[in-house]
Amino acid sequence: MESFNRLVKLAARAFYDDVTTKGDNQPKTGRSDNRGMAVVVLDALTRRQWVREEDLAKDLKLHSKQLRRTLRYFEEEKLVTRDHRKETAKGARIFSAAVAATGDGQSSGKDGEEKLKLHTHSYCCLDYAQANEIFDVVRYRLHRMRKKLKDELENRNTVQEYVCPNCNRRYTAFDALQLISPDDESFRCESCRAELVAESDKRAAEEMGDNDDNARRRRREKLKDMLQKMEEQRDEMGCREWKVEEEEKEMDLKSDLSWGRMQVQLKPLTDLLNRVKDLPVPEFGSLQAWEARANAAGRATNGDPSANDSSRSSQGQGYGGTPMPFLGETKVEVALSGVPVKDEDSKPDVSATTMKVLPPWMIKQGMNLTMEQRGEVKQELKTESGSTANQHDDKKSKVNDKDDGKSIQASQKKHLCDEYLKAYYAALLQRQQDQEEAAKRNQQESANTDNMSSEMPRQVGMKSKREDDDRDDGVEWEEAPTGNADKTYKMHDLNIEAEPEASGEDEDDIDWEEGGAIEVSSIYSYDLYFKDMARSKTGVSRQEVYGKSSRTEKATGTSDTRGGRKLQIVLYRKQKQKATEKKVARARSLRGDGVQDEASQVH
Amino acid sequence: MFFHIVLERNMQLHPRHFGPHLRDKLVAKLMKDVEGTCSGRHGFVVAITGVDNIGKGLIRDGTGFVTFPVKYQCVVFRPFKGEILEAVVTMVNKMGFFAEAGPVQIFVSNHLIPDDMEFQAGDVPNYTTSDGSVKIQKESEVRLKIIGTRVDATEIFCIGTIKDDFLGVINDPGASS
Repeated sequence: MESFNRLVKLAARAFYDDVTTKGDNQPKTGRSDNRGMAVVVLDALTRRQWVREEDLAKDLKLHSKQLRRTLRYFEEEKLVTRDHRKETAKGARIFSAAVAATGDGQSSGKDGEEKLKLHTHSYCCLDYAQANEIFDVVRYRLHRMRKKLKDELENRNTVQEYVCPNCNRRYTAFDALQLISPDDESFRCESCRAELVAESDKRAAEEMGDNDDNARRRRREKLKDMLQKMEEQRDEMGCREWKVEEEEKEMDLKSDLSWGRMQVQLKPLTDLLNRVKDLPVPEFGSLQAWEARANAAGRATNGDPSANDSSRSSQGQGYGGTPMPFLGETKVEVALSGVPVKDEDSKPDVSATTMKVLPPWMIKQGMNLTMEQRGEVKQELKTESGSTANQHDDKKSKVNDKDDGKSIQASQKKHLCDEYLKAYYAALLQRQQDQEEAAKRNQQESANTDNMSSEMPRQVGMKSKREDDDRDDGVEWEEAPTGNADKTYKMHDLNIEAEPEASGEDEDDIDWEEGGAIEVSSIYSYDLYFKDMARSKTGVSRQEVYGKSSRTEKATGTSDTRGGRKLQIVLYRKQKQKATEKKVARARSLRGDGVQDEASQVH
Repeated sequence: MFFHIVLERNMQLHPRHFGPHLRDKLVAKLMKDVEGTCSGRHGFVVAITGVDNIGKGLIRDGTGFVTFPVKYQCVVFRPFKGEILEAVVTMVNKMGFFAEAGPVQIFVSNHLIPDDMEFQAGDVPNYTTSDGSVKIQKESEVRLKIIGTRVDATEIFCIGTIKDDFLGVINDPGASS
């Protein structure tokens, strides 16, 4: 679906950008210049399914007549199907219900209250399905374009010209019958009887010399303009790899560079076409069928409260059509987590440097495969934590300093925060320094924790928790009171987190995260782990995790490692386990806001 | 492309034909005059299929000839740009080859012949592919596409190409013999 939408958008920009639906006879004033409207309309249609044209016009703030003209044009271009029918308000209401069911509720408007009159309503829809129209239309268009240009550039369909080397008299192939000489079957100049030379052989010479020839040149110029234009369009469409590909393409371009360039420019589109070719076609069906289906699905979703998030995937998840790949949605997720990737990575780095020499994954830091990275990081942490109690304590004291909540730790925490910030802003170059500092701090912390020997058993207990999820809760709850008490002190000291203690629910969790300006950076990364974790877990366990996270940072540490373990699975599951995701989706969207706020704060 | 159209013509008939077979004479003369001619507007008149209407004759002063306006149906052949035709090769030279599709002469210049076909001079000049499997020589039948027409008042001349999909030799007498 995403690919198809992208296809439509690309095609719109490539081919319909400067289309004006006005007749040529009308004077083109600045006001009536509606170029670009076609693109807007097509874009809008990619976000909808069947839509009543009036609604679409309203949404686009277009005059319905204008819109209808554009749509008629697209209908002729076979990009859009339209359906007209006379209907009463009831019919309109059915449609509105269908629209609401698919989550495009904003366009439903007040159609239900229309008078009981017979109106002819027109509906329109992108024509993906019928014989795969859009796909074929675009392909055909490309084919024609390519063929035409190729023919031009290879002089395929041009009339051969001949020129007399003596008197420079020019002939075309149309004169062949008169030119042919009876004795040796060659072409002879009519005036001087010299043998004619085909002009293509001479073109190079002539191009340098006299420029009195004309039609061909003009033609070529026009051609070049055309190519230029296409080039611009490609640039608009964000074709970045242009240069590289051009070099590749230069191999097989035949007679002209521009031909190869054209090929290159079209590459994104053709790639997309190739990709789309194998995808199942999103089928909206006819208007009636679509309405019926959408209504049925709407009823189903109303019955199942957990699944009524169809607005998130308005492209037709909710109504059992053909299965559609949700490329777009997941992509958005990735992009969201893509921003924090850096500090996310750097933070585990810091915590890891306290443990031991940096493993090779450090090198991969700048890269984008954050999930795996994180997974690796977590696993390493876990093994470390399992190895020695002392190291483990160190880490925990660092990670969970809030839980410890002593004044010493408060200063430590500041130190940590500074470090986080530093790690965030400094890149790999400062890694060594970080390492040193971390080592220093490590010693310091270990000293601290040694001092507070009373806390030791608790933290060891934590370790066991880390390994065992099920026991987690029980221990956690027991600890909670002390942790809370400690925390409150610390919070007030630092003026950071406002209401971490009241953290029974997700909302509190978010507030807490937003509250802590400095703390945010540290929590932030964990928060993201949570997000991933939450995806892999059921709603209940996620609640647990959130509860924990807000309650104690120890919990975050715990879930941290667990998250690491799960991340690999998450990656895998994210693609195929949509059902779980749906359940989580709502809560996540809530959290998503928090995450973004944080991101802005951090930055 | 062939068309069946109605044309009109003023026929001048010698007074000696005036008699009981005047109409037959008129039609016979019409056929003799018109069939095989070429007009730039309508193309080649291939055949007259019927005479619709013969108007009132007008006797010319002085000569005694009578002019009849005649409406007749006829089949015309007019080549168009982009049209695919089958034609017989009439002449091959190093500039290309000439072919005929009925009354129309078509010239295919050598750069509109596929690049893999080379001109072979000799007793029977021809264009041959490098592997010798396809040969264009006199009397070959080729399918070609018209890419240009020159229409004079009494003549139509075409330029064709065989450098495209599904074009080329369709029956090669050289290969069969």
